[in-house]
Formats: sequence, C-alpha cells, structure tokens
Amino acid sequence: MAGEPMAVDYYIPLIIFMIMGAIVPIAALAAVKIIAPLKPSRKKRSTYEGGLCPVRDAKIQYSVQYYLFAIVFVIFDVEVLFLYPWIYVYANKALQQFMVFGMNNAVFEMLLFIVVLLVGLVYAVKKEALRWV
Amino acid sequence: MDLGFYTPLGAEALLTALAVLVILLGSLMKKSGNLMGYLSLAGLVVSLGLVMSTAMSAKLGQVFFFNTISVDALSQFFKAVFLVVSMLVVIASLSRYKDAKGADEFYALLLLATVGMMVVSSSIDLVTLFVGFELASLSTYALAAFDKSKRNLEAAMKYFIFGSVSSAFMLFGFSLLYGMTGTTKIAGIASAALSNFAPATLVALIFVIAGFAFKMALVPFHMWAPDTYEGAPALVSGLLAAGSKKMGFAAAFRVIFVALLALRLEWYLAFAILAALTMTLGNVLAIWQNNVRRIFAYSSVAQAGYMAMTFVVVGAALGQPNGAAIAQNSIAGGLLLILGHALMKMGAFIAAAVVGYMVLKDGLKEGSDPDDISNYAGLGRRAPITAFCLLIFMFALAGIPPTAGYIGKFVLFGSAINAGLVWLAVLAILNSALSLYYYLRIISYMYLKEPAGPKISEPKGYAVALILTMIGVIGIGVYPQPFYNWAMQAAAVLLPH
Repeated sequence: MAGEPMAVDYYIPLIIFMIMGAIVPIAALAAVKIIAPLKPSRKKRSTYEGGLCPVRDAKIQYSVQYYLFAIVFVIFDVEVLFLYPWIYVYANKALQQFMVFGMNNAVFEMLLFIVVLLVGLVYAVKKEALRWV
Repeated sequence: MDLGFYTPLGAEALLTALAVLVILLGSLMKKSGNLMGYLSLAGLVVSLGLVMSTAMSAKLGQVFFFNTISVDALSQFFKAVFLVVSMLVVIASLSRYKDAKGADEFYALLLLATVGMMVVSSSIDLVTLFVGFELASLSTYALAAFDKSKRNLEAAMKYFIFGSVSSAFMLFGFSLLYGMTGTTKIAGIASAALSNFAPATLVALIFVIAGFAFKMALVPFHMWAPDTYEGAPALVSGLLAAGSKKMGFAAAFRVIFVALLALRLEWYLAFAILAALTMTLGNVLAIWQNNVRRIFAYSSVAQAGYMAMTFVVVGAALGQPNGAAIAQNSIAGGLLLILGHALMKMGAFIAAAVVGYMVLKDGLKEGSDPDDISNYAGLGRRAPITAFCLLIFMFALAGIPPTAGYIGKFVLFGSAINAGLVWLAVLAILNSALSLYYYLRIISYMYLKEPAGPKISEPKGYAVALILTMIGVIGIGVYPQPFYNWAMQAAAVLLPH
C-alpha cells in the first residue's frame, strides 16, 4: 500500500478543516471570557437598534402568509440564476446548429421552462396566493 | 434534431404537458374538477396505449438523454402498473372530489406523481433515478394531506419526514458509490464495482438498501406505513401502497441487481433477513389491528416481504450452475406479484373509501374511527358491489387461485424452492396461511354480521373502479400466460447476458 494513497487519505484535509472549524469559535469565545473586562450596565444590556432606544416588545404577532410570497420569489429568483449558464450555451456557436420547430434548441428549452413557470405564476395569482389580507 | 426519435417517451411528455395544462385550466376555470378528472383519465389511457405500443414494438432497449433513460421491457412493465393504478385513482376520484375546491390540484399532483414513478422505472442513471424519486415523493407528500383533516396532516407529516430521511440515506449511498466508481451510470458502476472493491462500497450498499427499504416499507423501515395509510385520504393511501411502493422496487431492482451485482453475497444476506422479518412481522401485527386500513397497511408490509424474496432468490440462484433461469423466473414472479398487488391493494383501498363515504353518510359519531372494522358489519347487504369486490381482493391477497395474487406467489415461491431456499418458501407459505386469518375476519364481518345501517347506493366512480380492478385481478389469475411472458421478458433485462 505504500505510496498509493487510499481513499481515506484524500479526506485528511477535510478532517483537519472540520477540527479547526470546531476549535476556532470555542477558542474565540474562551479568549473573550478570559481577556475582556466585564462591566455591565442597563444601557449596555438593552437591544442594539442602530443607536436608538428600543421601543415596544420584541415578541409581537405577525401574519405568516408572507411565506407564499417568499416561495414564489425563490422560484423566480432561481429562474434568473438558471438563465446565466443558459446564456453561455446560447452563445455557443457549435450548439446553434440544433434546431427544434425552426428555432435554436437552447431558446426552445428555455422557452419551455419559462412557460411552465408562467403557468405557475398564473396559478399563484388565480388561487389568490399573492393577495395580501 | 429529430423529434420522432423520442416517440418512446411520448407517454411521459404527454402526462407532463397535461399536468401543466390541468393546473392552468384549473386556475382559470371555476368548478372544473370533473372536467379535469376526465381530461386526466383520457391522458392516462392514451399514455397507457403509448406505453403498451412501445412494449410490443421492436424499439425496446433504446436509450435517451446521454444514457440516462432506457426504454426496455422492464420499464414498460412498471410504467403500465403505475398508469393502471393512477387510472383507478382518477376513476374513483371522479366520485370522491367531483367539483370540490382544489380538485384540479389533486389531478395535477397525481399526474406528476405518475410521471415521477415512470421516470424512476426508466432511469439507468442514479441522478435521474433520484430526480424521479423526488418528483413522485413531493407530489405524494402533498396528496397525503389533501383533505386537510387533522388525521391527514399527521399522516402526511410522518410520510414527509420518513420520506426525506430515506431520500437522504439513499443519496448518501449514491454519493459513496459515485466516489468509489467515478460514475453515476448503473452499467458503469457494475463494471467498476467488480475491480474497485473497498470497505466504503459496503457502507454504500447499506445506505442504498436502507433508503430503498424505506420506500418499499420493509421491516424495520416500515414504521411510517401504517400511520400514513391510515390517515391519508383512502385513495391516496391506495396510490402509495400500489404505486409509490412499487417505485421503490423498480429502482431497487435496477440498482441492486445490475449496479451492485458484485456485492451479491452481501445483499443476499441482508435481504434474506429483511424479507423473513418483513413478512412475519407484517402478518403478525396485522392480526391485532381493528382499523381496516391499518390491516391493509400491515398486509401491504407483509406483501412487500414476499416481493423482497425476489432479491434473496436471485442472490442465491446466481451462484448456481443453471442459476440464470431460476433468477429470471423469480424476478418474473416478483413482477407478477407487484402487478397483482398493485391491483388488489388499490381495490382494497377504494373499498375502504366507499366505507368511509358510507360512514360519513350515516353520520360519524364524535371521536369514533371511520375505518373501524365494526363499520364493515353487513357490508354484503349494505353495499353489495363493494363487498363482493373486497371479498375477491381479500382472497387474492391471501393467494387463493384463480387470482392475480396466486399467480405471483406461485411463480415466486416455486423459484425459491428451485434455488434451494426451502426454508424461505416454507416461511412464506406459512405466512400466507397466517394472513388468511385477518382477511377472513374482514370477510366474516362483511357477510356474517348484521348490517349496522340501511343499504346505500354506491357512487358510480367507486363502483366502476372496483369492478375494473376485480376484472383485472381475476383476469390475470385465469389467463396468466401473456403476463408471465411479459414479466419473463422484463426480467431478462436485469440479468447479465
């Protein structure tokens, strides 16, 4: 086996990384505990809010319906992310010879993808997922 | 690019397009439930026609999309099973959901789940396999909570958590396999695993088996099944037991038999333990249940144990001189059992749905269980079609001829004996005898007890679905030859040539 690295050997850097990752935050907190002087006061203990005095209670109730907005947002956000590598394929001269229904293959595929997402948007609007109540 | 090249994948393309169309039309139209139901039904029937025509044609064995999707006899067999199951769910749902709010979503999710299962049965690449798995799983998670009752939500939550954990297990196993072999192609892993055997391959095998066993609901990975089948809408429970579970087998057949052939002795041992435990525990636990859907769930666990015998028999047979023929026979038996069980269990859950409807009509008492076996009292007089069909399904599940359940068990148990696994065959037959107890118990409630209420008119959709299923179950039992030939042809795909 000498000389020939085993599969496990490739993971040694990863193991070192994980151990270091565990040590650093513990060491930092421990160092603060040991070195820093501790002089608490009422002002210091209050919530930091851009230098202003905090108002009202932190434990308020608010509607969770925003999660639907968040989900729809994430979908379209990912769509845009997906468009970036697509541009690269679209610009590739070698791939432009593939044609589907008289259009560039890449255009066709992206069109399909966006139409499906559009159907999703119509669905979300019609099912009143985007109405704020 | 020639689109004609992709015609063998027409069924999947059609269903995907239909699912998108159903979502669009469903959101634009009001009261569209029934229309969407008929549209989905038409799409499923056409898809089944496409799948069957491909299965009959000489085009089998083609691969698509850079060697990730294969259209062969095995994939077409499983696709036909999934499509038939979905068709039955849709037919029954026409009575269940009618123009209820969100019925269009039900059909769209059902179609997407079917597409996911079809992708799994076709994939010869681990990544495609996983994507198909997730498509089917995500759709069925939502379906399990569809009626939004408290029981539904509990069932869906359990199913979701167990399902995600099993996916994680499976994916970890896949990633280890990829690390060991440098490829995600099933054929590539098969050739690489032979030369690069490493301890990590064993760990990968354990994770892959655990991941699949969750989907197949083998003991000790079965805990989610009874709770989910009991709590989810009855038709969705049927889809899970008849479709989703078979998807686990479709995937496991390819990965275990083809990709991990080099580890035959290891998975042979693992599945011998799993299969023996599963069938015994499933049957023993089913005896104590009073909730009929839980009985069906445990019986489904037990049946998964019989199906898992396929792995054991193949593992044992391939080491023998004339093992290939026995192995092929046992896979064919497993496939026949899968086909038969899909029909029988779907039918049983549709019958449970009829009883649920009936109990609701009677006026459910607060805190009482709609699936309790006492509600089946006198069903033979209250709902004669349902009771008779359920009677046939119970006999078929117990493996009494001439039904589909008998044919599958006969071929599979026979191959177990041929492979020298007499202990396993004896255990399976003893278990079948044991299972008669709880099947007969339901039958005795239906026909020997006094009815608890007046006769009801059975909704048409349920009745049609039940009768079609019964014809299928008996038809396969009376005339098994074409199905057996097809299953043998499908089994040949998995064996080394």
